Amino acid sequence: MGQAFRKLFDAFFGNTEMRFMKLVGFNVEKVQYKNVIFTVWDVGGQEKLRPLWRHYFNNTDGLIYVVDSLDRERIGKARQEFQAIINDPFMLNSVILVFANKQDLKGAMTPLEVCEGLGLFELKNRKWHIQGTCALKGDGLYEGLDWLSSTLKEVRAAGYSSVGTSSF
Amino acid sequence: MAQPLIKKDDDRDDEAEYSPFLGIEKGAVLQEARVFNDPQLDPRRCSQVITKLLYLLNQGETFTKIEATEVFFAVTKLFQSKDTGLRRMVYLMIKELSPSADEVIIVTSSLMKDMNSKTDMYRANAIRVLCRITDGTLLTQIERYLKQAIVDKNPVVASAALVSGIHLLQTNPEIVKRWSNEVQEAVQSRAALVQFHALALLHQIRQNDRLAVSKLVSNLTRGTVRSPLAQCLLIRYISQVIRESGSTQTGDRPFYDYLEGCLRHKAEMVIFEAARAITELSGVTSRELTPAITVLQLFLSSSKPVLRFAAVRTLNKVAMTHPMAVTNCNIDMESLISDQNRSIATLAITTLLKTGNESSVDRLMKQITNFMSDIADEFKIVVVEAIRSLCLKFPLKYRSLMNFLSNILREEGGFEYKKAIVDSIVILIRDIPDAKESGLLHLCEFIEDCEFTYLSTQILHFLGVEGPKTSDPSKYIRYIYNRVILENATVRASAVSTLAKFGAMVDSLKPRIFTLLRRCLFDSDDEVRDRATLYLEMLGGDGEIVETQKDVKEFLFGSLDVPLSNLETSLKNYEPSEEPFDINSVPKEVKSQPLAEKKAPNKKPTGLGAPATEPSSGIDAYEKLLSSIPEFSSFGKLFKSSAPVELTEAETEYAVNVVKHIFDGHVVFQYNCTNTIPEQLLENVTVIVDPSEAEEFAEVASRPLRSLPYDSPGQTFVAFQKPEGVPAVGKFSNILRFIVKEVDPSTGEAEEDGVEDEYQLEDLEIVAADYMLKVGVSNFRNAWETMGPDFEKVDEYGLGPRESLVEAVNAVINLLGMQPCEGTEVVPSNSRSHTCLLSGVFIGNVKVLVRLQFGLDSNREVAMKLAVRSADEAVSDTIHEIVASG
Repeated sequence: MGQAFRKLFDAFFGNTEMRFMKLVGFNVEKVQYKNVIFTVWDVGGQEKLRPLWRHYFNNTDGLIYVVDSLDRERIGKARQEFQAIINDPFMLNSVILVFANKQDLKGAMTPLEVCEGLGLFELKNRKWHIQGTCALKGDGLYEGLDWLSSTLKEVRAAGYSSVGTSSF
Repeated sequence: MAQPLIKKDDDRDDEAEYSPFLGIEKGAVLQEARVFNDPQLDPRRCSQVITKLLYLLNQGETFTKIEATEVFFAVTKLFQSKDTGLRRMVYLMIKELSPSADEVIIVTSSLMKDMNSKTDMYRANAIRVLCRITDGTLLTQIERYLKQAIVDKNPVVASAALVSGIHLLQTNPEIVKRWSNEVQEAVQSRAALVQFHALALLHQIRQNDRLAVSKLVSNLTRGTVRSPLAQCLLIRYISQVIRESGSTQTGDRPFYDYLEGCLRHKAEMVIFEAARAITELSGVTSRELTPAITVLQLFLSSSKPVLRFAAVRTLNKVAMTHPMAVTNCNIDMESLISDQNRSIATLAITTLLKTGNESSVDRLMKQITNFMSDIADEFKIVVVEAIRSLCLKFPLKYRSLMNFLSNILREEGGFEYKKAIVDSIVILIRDIPDAKESGLLHLCEFIEDCEFTYLSTQILHFLGVEGPKTSDPSKYIRYIYNRVILENATVRASAVSTLAKFGAMVDSLKPRIFTLLRRCLFDSDDEVRDRATLYLEMLGGDGEIVETQKDVKEFLFGSLDVPLSNLETSLKNYEPSEEPFDINSVPKEVKSQPLAEKKAPNKKPTGLGAPATEPSSGIDAYEKLLSSIPEFSSFGKLFKSSAPVELTEAETEYAVNVVKHIFDGHVVFQYNCTNTIPEQLLENVTVIVDPSEAEEFAEVASRPLRSLPYDSPGQTFVAFQKPEGVPAVGKFSNILRFIVKEVDPSTGEAEEDGVEDEYQLEDLEIVAADYMLKVGVSNFRNAWETMGPDFEKVDEYGLGPRESLVEAVNAVINLLGMQPCEGTEVVPSNSRSHTCLLSGVFIGNVKVLVRLQFGLDSNREVAMKLAVRSADEAVSDTIHEIVASG
């Protein structure tokens, strides 16, 4: 699903030169949005990369978790990985933004359904937000990032913050 | 001759003092590496930490799996920095850490991005790292980019891709071979580095296709190769092509003109490479050699040490084969003896020793003596070895050379150096009878003040063998007995044995020896006491003085007839039980030598070590072995045993070699077999010999080998009768026949039932040389005159066209199997004529001397005049027959 996320960010960053078939590994970019400089770690979601995610948890202020809303079958798996990430000791203080992607497609799960699927409602003492998006058009992206930047501003008075993201 | 390049220790100390990394510690640096995780990176500081990490890795420090993982992922976080200097360190770090495949994939995308970046430095380095970590599947994905990179206009990028190709060729040859077109284009690049790397890769891609390499080389010699490095490569490839094209054509050597042209190149490295290539041409003529020697001579007086070193090293090699060609440089080389660089000085000395003639020996020795005091032991050893061969070449000069050796023996020096000197003296004593007495005394003096137990015991053993045979054995006793008083237990025990040997061999010394031995009975060490008691008992020291019996001598001083390594194995396997250890159960045969060992160039003469190993393969041991076999006991005295001849390729299931034992009227083939399959036990092993191409031979006996377990050598024999005293020749084909039984590797037990099987061996030949013993004479002219012209036979032969005189001379020497005398087997390069002197003992114990005179005419036809003198007219005729039919 790196593809979808790449498109999402193409919309966000403007078109980058790179067009690879698959994200093997990670890409790191610094982006300024509304006076906040984000260092975005875009980590590939392939099965064999997942065990390596944890190496990038340290010092992470926020998580962007992208879910394929169309894939009802694997929402359970998505939940499992999601819970593993947010319950990692290094991630306990990070804020959580979930993009329920592919909202434009018929039969997609609603953001509410995704919330239930991931178990967001059971979370205690965590700042989280879910946003329905359409990566192709860029719908919902800015709303999500607005939430993220304002929340992080609350958490930290000012300055840099790094945002760990992950697509799945 | 390769020189060990060992820096003096004090140099190294100096370096360490100025190292900014002195005393850094892994733990501390790993702590520092945490800065990689900082949200706000300090590129300068990160670079410094990486430098330290790289330093540690290069010093051989290892990281645990966890440490490496931690550092690796921390380093990957540095990709967020846009600092180019830091990025370069990141690349280096990833390469050096070489993390496991499942972790390293995390940087793939980042590297691919860098590979397509606008910064050339990123591109080149990302390519190198990516190729290092890539596997086959990923490689196909990035192949397109690599092909582009090879022809990239930036030379750094192109070189990176080409070098990566060279590495990848090992793992993914089929992919890299598809890049030929791009690589070929890169060979034409204007950038020197690109051309160099492209040529290297192109050659590697084609290296297994001789025709393609040859085409590549001839194309390039016509075109322009700009890069000196590339041209050096080209010269090496040319040498390879010349080597492989064989030596069939006469006329001009292909590519020689090109090589010669390179001697006038403006880059020194090209000149040197060409000169070296010329000197290494097989069968190089002096006309071809001259221009190369001339440029090397110029290099000798260069101000650059590296050129002087390169030149003198090459000339040193040339001196081995063409001493005459190098003599022109002798003056330049003599000035190099005082060169600041000791490697150069040593090479100059050893070269001079090779090219020098008898008259210059004394002068050289004087120069060397001054020089010896300020070089390191490694170099001294080289010099000692050179002097040893010089002495064997000019036996008349032994006095000054022996003096030199004894002088340096008295000076300070390490074990290896002292051992080299002692070995040299021992060899001189063996080969030059006149040198014996003085040499033994030098050794005696040496052990008076020798700090090396090993050398002392070896010398004492040698004294015991050689001392009693001298004119006045008594003068050595004092030196030997001094050891008993002054030395440690090991040396004392050896000294006791040596004393006993004198007692056993020299009857007149017996009473005095007994007195000395009796004093040893009260030694503080039990081994010394035991030995003294044993010798006194065996030699009859308890009363009357009798002549020591032969079997006592044999028992005390004879050599073991089993190889020590086999005895050791058997003793290790022996489990203490009621049954005593039986020495007869020890296999007598040396393991079939692996091919690699045999390929090793002519073994250097070994000094003290030799007597210990020789008996196992020497003729005495063979004789003992054969006479213990009833079928062969009637054959009489063994005349000659050949060196083992391999009948199988290396690394086959069964390794078999054969030793040919020649008797007057019989021939015995001893097949030494080794079973290299752990899962098999061979039984009833025989060799079926077919003598259909050896008419004069008739099989009379065969002795099978009952059982041949894994990795434990055994022998089977086949004996043939042949006409007495006649050097009958023939060819024999061999088949190994046996019953094979499966062995369970876990229990080591063999199955009950076996299957009969055969194994084809290579053919074996009996040639005329098998009937000739190599026995040298020290003064050929004297021997020749003494033999007299009674049975002299002279005839002339045409040997047909030959590549060189060397080849013709060697062919005849090998045909006759005789010992070349006075160094006459060496043919000076390009001489048109040569005289070679041979001596030997022919079957029937007939002494034979041969004088061969060779001449070469303009059509490379070799003519030979053969003069034979022997004690038996028939033998003289036989020698001519051998040559005529060979």
